Amino acid sequence: MAASRGRRLLWHGRCWFSQTESGVPPQPPDSLYPPIVASATAKSKAAKRRRLEHFNQRVHAAASIEEKLRLYGQLQRPKYMLYPQTFALNADRWYRSFTKTVFVPGLPPRAAAVAAKAPGAVAPEAAETPAGAAGMAPEAAKAPEPGTAAPEAAKSPELAAAATPYLDMGELRSLACDALLQESFYQNKKRPFLYRDQDHTPGPFLTQLVSTLAAFLCGRNPLLAASSLDLKPEVNYYWHHGEEVVVHGHRKGRVDPVRFQIDDNPHLQIRVPKQLPEIVPLESDLGDVPVIDHKPSKLPLFKKQYENKVYIGSKVADPCCYGHTQFHLIPDKLKRERFVKANLEDQIEVVYRANGIASLFAWTAAQAMYQGFWNEADVTRPFVSQAVVTDGKYFAFFCYQLNTLALTVETIQNNPRKNICWGTDSKPLYDVVEDGSVKGFNDEVLLQLVRFLLNRPKEL
Amino acid sequence: MFQGVRQAQWLTKTKLVEGLPPPVLSIIDNPAHRLEDHEEGVKRAVSHARLWDTTEVAPRREHYCPVLFEDLIHLCRLMSVKYPSLTKRMLARNYKISATWERESILLQVRGLNGILMNSMAPIPPVASKEEILATEEHVLETFYPISPTIDLQEVNVYKELNDTGKSSFRDGYPYSHPHTLFFLESANIRPNRFRPEQLRAKMMMFAFGNALAKAKVLYGNDPKVLEQPIVVQSVGTDGQLFQFMVFQLNTTDLVSSDGIKNLVWIDSDQNLYERAQCIPEVKKRVVTKPAGIYGFQPDTFKKFLALYLHGTV
Repeated sequence: MAASRGRRLLWHGRCWFSQTESGVPPQPPDSLYPPIVASATAKSKAAKRRRLEHFNQRVHAAASIEEKLRLYGQLQRPKYMLYPQTFALNADRWYRSFTKTVFVPGLPPRAAAVAAKAPGAVAPEAAETPAGAAGMAPEAAKAPEPGTAAPEAAKSPELAAAATPYLDMGELRSLACDALLQESFYQNKKRPFLYRDQDHTPGPFLTQLVSTLAAFLCGRNPLLAASSLDLKPEVNYYWHHGEEVVVHGHRKGRVDPVRFQIDDNPHLQIRVPKQLPEIVPLESDLGDVPVIDHKPSKLPLFKKQYENKVYIGSKVADPCCYGHTQFHLIPDKLKRERFVKANLEDQIEVVYRANGIASLFAWTAAQAMYQGFWNEADVTRPFVSQAVVTDGKYFAFFCYQLNTLALTVETIQNNPRKNICWGTDSKPLYDVVEDGSVKGFNDEVLLQLVRFLLNRPKEL
Repeated sequence: MFQGVRQAQWLTKTKLVEGLPPPVLSIIDNPAHRLEDHEEGVKRAVSHARLWDTTEVAPRREHYCPVLFEDLIHLCRLMSVKYPSLTKRMLARNYKISATWERESILLQVRGLNGILMNSMAPIPPVASKEEILATEEHVLETFYPISPTIDLQEVNVYKELNDTGKSSFRDGYPYSHPHTLFFLESANIRPNRFRPEQLRAKMMMFAFGNALAKAKVLYGNDPKVLEQPIVVQSVGTDGQLFQFMVFQLNTTDLVSSDGIKNLVWIDSDQNLYERAQCIPEVKKRVVTKPAGIYGFQPDTFKKFLALYLHGTV
């Protein structure tokens, strides 16, 4: 290592020999003196570069993933804390610039391997979104009417030709309605605590819904049978992006990377042992990343210095080390009514988008770090995860593909890759619950949720 | 409670049978259910709860006990692939129960938030045969004279005898109306705040009895009588490592006298799921003597847990 660096420096020093040495550089004679390298402790740019090199080599050469993570987050300095659930205006634009993410409205055109195996000709794979929607619409139309018409008679002649079993929308709808009715109507609970409405009904409803749906669908998706369901887990990620000059203190005037930390608490998450398939190739370019000229503290973001954690929800030793779906519950502070009262209707969707982008970036990047990638060793395969952000009634679906971890100043220069996030607007699952029945139930939202849960690698 | 299960037996007019009842044992022994396939999953669940689920070195009991319970229930729910009627179950958390009865001129009441209740649409069929129920008539309840049976119970002036799960916990028309299993998690960090196994078993029995009694009053009215269709409620209690399994069968609501048909309870106590969970490897004199991991794993405990879960639908 040192010898090769020494040789490189000697070569630069003698570049007027470059014509003769342009072929194979001859082996210099073994020198009696140690190689001449920049100092490691001086206050100079060459010394800083050498220290950085040394640190990178230490992390590359770490014996285990835990050791690598420990070295990566060893140095503690003040860093910006990013909150996925934030009231900041236009936070999703800022978060996209911090994480180098492109936002694509709508969900990706998937190989609709899920129930849309309509009988006969509709080619299920790689449909464009309109065709994919058309593939879904006949399926939804074939689904039985809400409990009334004889379901078997309506379904079986049309779908008799289908090779794979269809999804019983009636059954799924009844599961969802039962969960909703139990939490909001049938179980007598005390009045909700002040400003804790979300813990009273939507939280338990979401938990019940996801656990019963996951159990119901695990026959369809063997990945769910091997999955791990976490309630209120912790997800953390720490990274550097951009540069700034230290403003005050004993380190004043030095150029430092801008550090960020996300500490997220999803309501529920599903982790699986196998990775979800990539949605688009690694080098795709689907849009632009917004560039923001202001300091991050103008968002507002605040700095604090504490432990640099990278965590997906369980430690590295867990076999379920890839993420499948996260479920986030919007807290009372960010309810729709409050935004409407403050005349900020357009910021409602921003809340959902910012939550989706930040949480999914943190989760996928932490998963990538658990596999040994980091900003000097960029990912060789894309990491995909999904998220559902809801406030109990309105659901928004997000899909994230992590293509690059290299966001620091040195590594971002020649990096054409961008991370991609697909997302929808929030749609209501139902209109109102009264007198023991759910009015205005929206099958589309439930179908989308089921599609999310059934997502799996192609070989399964 | 001072005398634990014995006191609870007197208060609820119950006869104790050691071990689990034959229908549950037959589920465990039935090779068709393939309970062994889940061993890997259970080991993973235990490791997840005890070792991997925290950013600190070792999770505390308040954290790992509920996580272990959730993981085990998740594994049980995945069985609904094979048995579709298992989807007709619903978990109710933070659930309140209150039931009142009279026992030899002492008015007793069970009330409170009692953990997690799993409801099902269909009731569990009676576990004991008619002969066994009639045989309880000869059984004499154990008294512990001179200690009064109501020792250590809180004496309260009750002005309204609130009586049923129907009114106070669930509204009418609830489709999952039969209490199936109660789960108790002793997850306090400090040992004095947790129930000892004996007291935990007594608590489980009292609450199982309370739920069964409330259901009986809803179904058959408030008159004390011997039930034609006994009501069965199960109960599982754990502190994250030790499991207590209980099946309670309510045969009669005639509790004033100490004679006549008694209720029945089967208890399988102190089942360890694993012996030790080593979070950091034990190192003596710079040599690793015990690597990190779970030691002494007992698959039978999970088989019993799963059998209780499946009971009533298979």
